[in-house]
Amino acid sequence: MAKLIRPWPLACLMICGLVALPTVTVLSSLFQPFGEEWNHLAETRLTDYIRNTAILGVAVCFFAALIGTAAAYLVGNHDFPGRGFFSWALILPLAVPGYIAAYAYTDLLEFSGPLQTWLRGTFGWGRRDYWFPQVRSLPGAVAILTFTLYPYVYLAARAAFVEQSRCVLEVGRTLDCGPWRSFFRIALPLARPSIVAGTLLVMMETLADFGAVDYFAVDTFATGIYRTWRGLESPTTAAQLATVLLSVVSLVLLVELLARRRARYHQLSSGRAAVSRTKLGIVGSAAAIVVCGLPVLVGFIGPAAIFIFMAIDTGDGRAVEVVREYGSNTLVLSAIAAAIAVALSLIVVYSQRLVRTRTTLIAGKFAGLGYALPGPVIAIGLLAPLSWADHKLNGLLTAGFDLQVGLVFTGSVFAVVMGYQTRFLAVALSMLETSFGRIKPSLDDAARTLGASNTGLMTRIHLPLLRASVFAAFLLVFVDVAKELPATLMLRPFNFDTLAVRVYQLASDERLEEAAFGALVIIGVGLIPVLVLSLLLDRHGRKAPAPPTDEVARV
Amino acid sequence: MTESLPPTPANPPNGSGDADVLATGLRFGYRKNTPVVDGVDFRLDTGRVHCLLGDSGSGKTTLLRLIAGLERPDEGEIKIAGQLVSGGPKHLPAEDRPIGMVFQDYALFPHLSVRKNVAFGMRHRPRAERRAIADELLQRVGMSGFETAMPYTLSGGQQQRVALARALARDPKVMLLDEPFSGLDAAMRDAVRETTLKVMREAGVAVLMVTHDPREALVAADTVSVMRRGKITATGRPEEVCVRRQEYRGEGAQRVQYERIEVRGTDDTNSATA
Repeated sequence: MAKLIRPWPLACLMICGLVALPTVTVLSSLFQPFGEEWNHLAETRLTDYIRNTAILGVAVCFFAALIGTAAAYLVGNHDFPGRGFFSWALILPLAVPGYIAAYAYTDLLEFSGPLQTWLRGTFGWGRRDYWFPQVRSLPGAVAILTFTLYPYVYLAARAAFVEQSRCVLEVGRTLDCGPWRSFFRIALPLARPSIVAGTLLVMMETLADFGAVDYFAVDTFATGIYRTWRGLESPTTAAQLATVLLSVVSLVLLVELLARRRARYHQLSSGRAAVSRTKLGIVGSAAAIVVCGLPVLVGFIGPAAIFIFMAIDTGDGRAVEVVREYGSNTLVLSAIAAAIAVALSLIVVYSQRLVRTRTTLIAGKFAGLGYALPGPVIAIGLLAPLSWADHKLNGLLTAGFDLQVGLVFTGSVFAVVMGYQTRFLAVALSMLETSFGRIKPSLDDAARTLGASNTGLMTRIHLPLLRASVFAAFLLVFVDVAKELPATLMLRPFNFDTLAVRVYQLASDERLEEAAFGALVIIGVGLIPVLVLSLLLDRHGRKAPAPPTDEVARV
Repeated sequence: MTESLPPTPANPPNGSGDADVLATGLRFGYRKNTPVVDGVDFRLDTGRVHCLLGDSGSGKTTLLRLIAGLERPDEGEIKIAGQLVSGGPKHLPAEDRPIGMVFQDYALFPHLSVRKNVAFGMRHRPRAERRAIADELLQRVGMSGFETAMPYTLSGGQQQRVALARALARDPKVMLLDEPFSGLDAAMRDAVRETTLKVMREAGVAVLMVTHDPREALVAADTVSVMRRGKITATGRPEEVCVRRQEYRGEGAQRVQYERIEVRGTDDTNSATA
């Protein structure tokens, strides 16, 4: 116990406590009376929330697993024209946030959109002469989220297939397993833990999605929480609603943890041996190109192209104006949040290295769980304690010094930056944990015997050795913050809009053309880590060290 | 318990004389109720090379780490050059002890050049002086010409010598060597060991060397302690502790003579064909 009452571990515990605050607040709402609003909710909307969230989660996971696994198996174990291109292109949709894709396809496919207009013009159809699928619907949301989230499965599955491939599959061949049989009987079962882990990440992202379902008017828990908070003005009921989502997320997290533990056993490292890929014939190659090309087309090329045309089409400078006006907000906010996240995770990871007790280790793990919390849950969990703190502070200052400072916490970027820490600290944390683990402990001991203090060890040994990882962690958090919608929407100070928020508002106001350039910038920013990641995957070639899924997860 | 050997110049009775390191009643465990160092009394004198001999897991490296200040003893006290460094509420951290340590994996800082590695511990000195001392030390260990090399370009033996120079740069009173030659191949080992011992004798420091190889203790040590299950089971001159026996193996023309070394206080024996 005494070991913990020292500056570093104490700081570590405080950081972890801070990050855990939203969860604690949300859970504590269970002890408050379920009010009138809850009953109202239960009678009207709750079944919709449950039904839609469940259908969305299951369907998106199913299709994402299907696409991700198929593409990974084709790219990992087969040779066909374009394989090299698809190998990295299949990750690109990670750069497109669900809400951006939703806006793009709504614009393309709605009644007044270019496609239907063209169809009517070409065939002379009237409004009632044909049937066309409604984009803004539950199936539409499933499609959008599937095509933007499948890369999580693809990445995990590809790493698994590539690692296992050589010997095991060849043994299968000698035992008279045809290509299909060897896939279903050997490759798939071996890769299953990784695929499950990737799919569960998809599940968590789906549960956390706000922008796409909100735009499609599909009521899920995420939008429900937002609406209860905003419309019913009942934070307690919103928090009670959030506990339901929280418990589902915890369950997913638990399953993921178990799946990942098993995945570790399955990584039979086969050295640097080159993968022997099966060469596909003409028909096979054509099929492979379709299977791999469609997700890239729908998930990335489509939305990017739609916004590029839209931006050119508008061409009156209003689109650029949006970026100029709100881009700097995004830039500043993301940079601040990323710098803080990196600093905090350095403290956490370093304290764990200095004082390896169960308490610091568990605290660190706990701090990492925030990434599973959907933005609306974090926002609800933060607003109550921060408003309370504002209230108390002003009460004290008014009483003591006759001072009115206003809303220090909820009225400034403090709240939103703190929200980002809860959600994205894990990103920086897992990045730095991995790199810290690679520094031999004997280097620490050597530095100590040569006179370095705690701080000296950090500044003279660890930081220089971790430079690249620190930068990478900063970049990852930066990009995540820049794309984040619901937490920003709910926690930002009055009149402070980021690019993501502005794009959301413009889309909601049916002024999407003005948002086109902003949307493109968001996609562009999202591309940075995706490109870095694909470069990394390429450099390590076959031996990509099965990127720890949660590290990749947040790209 | 320490097997009692007659007090000799190499084995003076505890508490008398001018010991550089004096440890009494040391106890330490990484987890509760599983002591790794279990009641050790120990002394180390200036200008002497003392070997700590034992199997892996016997607690010898942990004893070294306790003396270095990298671990804090649960019980007992340690004095270095008459100053209490561990004991009761007092615990002087490693960075404030007059010790130098060479690690089994050498632990050279990968991002610093050879010269900067050696100069690492001399922050209190002006830049030019740091550089001059570092270069002088590198010359002493036979590594002149490698000042700007990066550690990963060096062989194991070269890394070991840089690590030695680095540890000496702080003018330590006590040098702690943790299996310093185990990473080297046999041919290299003798040469490096010779340089190391020569340099350290010149520096006039007390040397505590951990090893699992009785042969090494025989060649290098003035005194030897045997450690087993966290206790020191025998202390004495190397030839008292390690007994050489000539034995034969095989039949007829295949018969070879080999040497067997028995260590008192353990079941450990070590043999090699001669």
